[in-house]
Amino acid sequence: MLKTPENWGKNKVEQVMTHYVKAWILALGLILTPAVATAQDALPAAPGAEAAPAEASVDAGAPAAEAAPASGLDPALYTPMKPTEGVGMPVDGGLDFQPQVSETGKQAKWINNSILLPIMTVICLFVLALLFWVMIRFRRGANPEPSKTTHNTFIEVVWTVVPVLILLVIAVPSISLLAQQFEPAPEDALTVKVTGYQWYWGYNYPDNGDFEIISNMLTEEEANERGEPFQLAVDNRMVIPVGKPVKMLITGADVIHSFAIPAAWFKLDAVPGRINEKVLQIDEVGVYYGQCSELCGARHGFMPIAVEVLPEDKFNDWVRANGGTVKGDEVAADESEDGAAEETASDDTTTEGAPADAAAAAN
Amino acid sequence: MTTIAADGQILDDHAHDADHKPAFFQRWFMSTNHKDIGTLYLIFAIIAGIIGGAISGMMRMELAEPGIQYLTGWVGAGASMDEALHLWNVLITAHGLIMVFFMVMPAMIGGFGNWFVPLMIGAPDMAFPRMNNISFWLLVPAFLLLLGSAFVPGGTGNGAGTGWTVYAPLATTGSVGPAVDMAILSLHLAGASSILGAINFITTILNMRAPGMTLHKMPLFVWSVLVTAFLLLLALPVLAAAITMLLTDRNFGTTFFDAAGGGDPVLYQHLFWFFGHPEVYIMILPGFGMISHIISTFSRKPIFGYLGMAYAMVAIGVVGFVVWAHHMFTTGMSVNVKMYFTAATMVIAVPTGIKIFSWIATMWGGSMTFKTPMVWALGFIFMFTVGGVTGVVLANGGIDDNLHDTYYVVAHFHYVLSLGAVFSIFAGFYYWFPKMSGRHYSELLGQLHFWTFFIGVNILFFPMHFLGNQSMPRRYPDYPEQFAYWNEIASLGYVVMAVGVLIFFVNIAWALVAGRKAEANYWGEGATTLEWTLSSPPPFHQFETLPQIK
Amino acid sequence: MSHAQTRDMSTKNLRIAAMAGAMGIAMLGMGYAAVPLYEIFCRVTGYGGTTQRVDAAQAATVQATSRVMSVRFDSNVNSALPWAFKPENPVDRVSVGARDMAIYIATNKSDQPVVGTATFNVTPVQAGKYFHKVQCFCFTEQLLEPGQTMRMPVLYYVDPAIMDDPETRDIEEITLSYTFYRSKDGIAVDPATGDS
Repeated sequence: MLKTPENWGKNKVEQVMTHYVKAWILALGLILTPAVATAQDALPAAPGAEAAPAEASVDAGAPAAEAAPASGLDPALYTPMKPTEGVGMPVDGGLDFQPQVSETGKQAKWINNSILLPIMTVICLFVLALLFWVMIRFRRGANPEPSKTTHNTFIEVVWTVVPVLILLVIAVPSISLLAQQFEPAPEDALTVKVTGYQWYWGYNYPDNGDFEIISNMLTEEEANERGEPFQLAVDNRMVIPVGKPVKMLITGADVIHSFAIPAAWFKLDAVPGRINEKVLQIDEVGVYYGQCSELCGARHGFMPIAVEVLPEDKFNDWVRANGGTVKGDEVAADESEDGAAEETASDDTTTEGAPADAAAAAN
Repeated sequence: MTTIAADGQILDDHAHDADHKPAFFQRWFMSTNHKDIGTLYLIFAIIAGIIGGAISGMMRMELAEPGIQYLTGWVGAGASMDEALHLWNVLITAHGLIMVFFMVMPAMIGGFGNWFVPLMIGAPDMAFPRMNNISFWLLVPAFLLLLGSAFVPGGTGNGAGTGWTVYAPLATTGSVGPAVDMAILSLHLAGASSILGAINFITTILNMRAPGMTLHKMPLFVWSVLVTAFLLLLALPVLAAAITMLLTDRNFGTTFFDAAGGGDPVLYQHLFWFFGHPEVYIMILPGFGMISHIISTFSRKPIFGYLGMAYAMVAIGVVGFVVWAHHMFTTGMSVNVKMYFTAATMVIAVPTGIKIFSWIATMWGGSMTFKTPMVWALGFIFMFTVGGVTGVVLANGGIDDNLHDTYYVVAHFHYVLSLGAVFSIFAGFYYWFPKMSGRHYSELLGQLHFWTFFIGVNILFFPMHFLGNQSMPRRYPDYPEQFAYWNEIASLGYVVMAVGVLIFFVNIAWALVAGRKAEANYWGEGATTLEWTLSSPPPFHQFETLPQIK
Repeated sequence: MSHAQTRDMSTKNLRIAAMAGAMGIAMLGMGYAAVPLYEIFCRVTGYGGTTQRVDAAQAATVQATSRVMSVRFDSNVNSALPWAFKPENPVDRVSVGARDMAIYIATNKSDQPVVGTATFNVTPVQAGKYFHKVQCFCFTEQLLEPGQTMRMPVLYYVDPAIMDDPETRDIEEITLSYTFYRSKDGIAVDPATGDS
């Protein structure tokens, strides 16, 4: 879909438009000629493009993946799942929210569609009906002599109190939804750490040997080849187990990004220098797409998010395919990864209040 | 009798009879006349509106279908794809800043405020006419700085591509080059202009009302400007402080918003939205005032619940200062904070509802005619209601988790601003144009303008709700094919709207060239405020004998 | 209007304008004051997951409880800082109220001495006011010689009051996150103590 620099300008309308707009902007800019002139002098290659060569097109320019591409994983353990049309992605001409696959998402969608939307519609239609009524009933032809009424305490109280009551009706489910969204993750929840970069995502699995998945957008050809929607498809997806709360830790490496999974009603900013936490639980196996939701520079629109939700055993296979460790596997593995932490933890509980001992135990 | 130049100097009577106008340069470049300055503001706002509107046209062109069609061409030969994409960010930034700071605010406060506040309170001029002139002329370099920033490096490409919110660290370490500095300085100048204007309005309204005009007899438009001026005075300095800190972070090694030095990028957002939320009321409150007058005039009835209307605006202004973090629901806040901002935000619906219903009650029992200003006002009431109810949806912190930074938000704020504030500007323009120019516009073209514009903007912005529901993020130059359908329709809506704007310009041109001469009170008995006691256009100096209000 | 009245209005105009101007300047001052105020606000309320800093004497008064919770250690390094920086253990299980020491290990991978400085917060953010640090490498800047590896201790405890607050009592795991940046002014301090 993206045109390469070679074939732009082929379109006549586009060319005319280009010249028109340029001439027009230039005319305005003339007043600032000195500034513009110096600017032209000081215009080498785009600054701040250390992440990628300036010439690169969006398709090709994303930083080379550090992890092996998904296709490079052992196919016995993991093959990327095909997304389901209309699930976890937008639908052309769609009106409603994406089908929700999380408990809070379903709740939120229900609140919107069953409480907010009807109330909104009724209010709008009520106002519209009143407007039509006054326009017909009190037009000059129908009511040549205007009344002089400017006060009616009763009606004024009514239209103050009724909105308050409506808001109270809205507030109850709204507050309970918030409470539900903020239920903390259980201690044994899988932790995934998300890092937003200009302009790609990184996923770390600290509980599974801390391997890192680097996730770049696929080009149009690659996406088509894999049967995935272009601009949503990525080379390496974030994979999580189905039906389990996942503790998402989100941070930004350079500027603020925002991690979003619309099908799970999930959005949280990736702020550099601080970590944010939110629980993600998706109850249906599948592939769910999202897009960066905080302006983060030139390729803000080209760092999509793809989450693949698998049954626990398949998820574990995926972890192993990425060279990670799975809890319960460490009988064979040495204790450098997960096991050590578990042991330390049990030590700590018996040596409470003794930091030196704890540190020693950690060693 | 002596005339009073409002800065307190006593002028000789004979040197200044009411219609003696200075020479061209003196009159328009060194103006101390509130009506002339108002006219300058309106012309400025129209020019800025054309530019900001043209930019949105470019944006809708690019978004009409999936793929990057035009950006690569616009950015010029030899530029990289990244520079083209950066141009997109420059366009959205410029569109936002221009429409907020250089179109809506100058039109409402600078234009109509300057023209009609002194007329409505029976004052000869603003309290500080020369400061008034400075306010206007600060806007011009501010605007030129902003436009100029598009031609200097700003990171990946030329121009400031930070969004109108100028969030750190994208606006600090993320955007190397002078473009963002120029944009910030532009905001400084525009802010200084507005603060000076606000001081002028507050002084004028509090101290220069005609004898007998108590605060509770003041026309609602004056009330709205008074509340707006206080919002400006309290909110803009905070923006000034925030962007000054951005500037020093960028250039002088401070780390107010830089985590590397112990700063916090989220603090910038708090400061910005502490300004930014009152700012949206700054853009709509004068509109509320104008709509009240228009509804009253064309219903031939005094405004219903005058005091409730006035204090509803005060309430909106006050509550507007304690809801800012609903713009930051996804930055990572605790559940209690989110609940508070959810509840506080929803409270705003109450005074807003009072206004909507009071307008309808004003028409109730009235004797209505549907002249151009009135149809704009009626369109405003309905469209603002639509924008208002989606605001209640977004106020819910839990719902916002999905809708935040999607096209639903874009739809919401364009319904309250593009269909709210802009409708009220057009309503006010048609209401007062003959008063300001002395010429009648064509009623037919006015009605035609309304219907084309009304249909256009609804086709343009309503589908954005659907795009938002489907989670299309804001500020994207391109999108997956699944968003194509509604985007194409939105772009068609833009064309219809643009035709409407064209009709508007034809109408103005026609009115100025061939318009019928306007009498003093061309709306008849429904128009009761002081400006209708004066000729159209009013004399160069009015109220040399102060009117007595009963 | 008489001259006297005119002069009256003019003075009154100036007085109102001066008051309005003062309001504007006060708000400008508020804008700047927001920086330290926000910092104090965060420190006092733990807003945004800001941790509390206590001295050893204060910490000694806290009694360990039988409630055990996890503390996860997260680490980030800004790309401008050529360091490796990881917690020794990703998770510790500690008794609420008990002091615990966590160790981060930092290595300077460059051939230059580099000064780093760390920012930090905890999540869930409402746990900030109950997460007390007695001693931390993050209180000061850290100097690493080329190739040097340093063990950086954090001495902390979780305030037992966390169990009484309805907003926090269900929390089972707190994450403590650090991000190391290259120090802007590069003031070296004694790296051995890491204390101020």
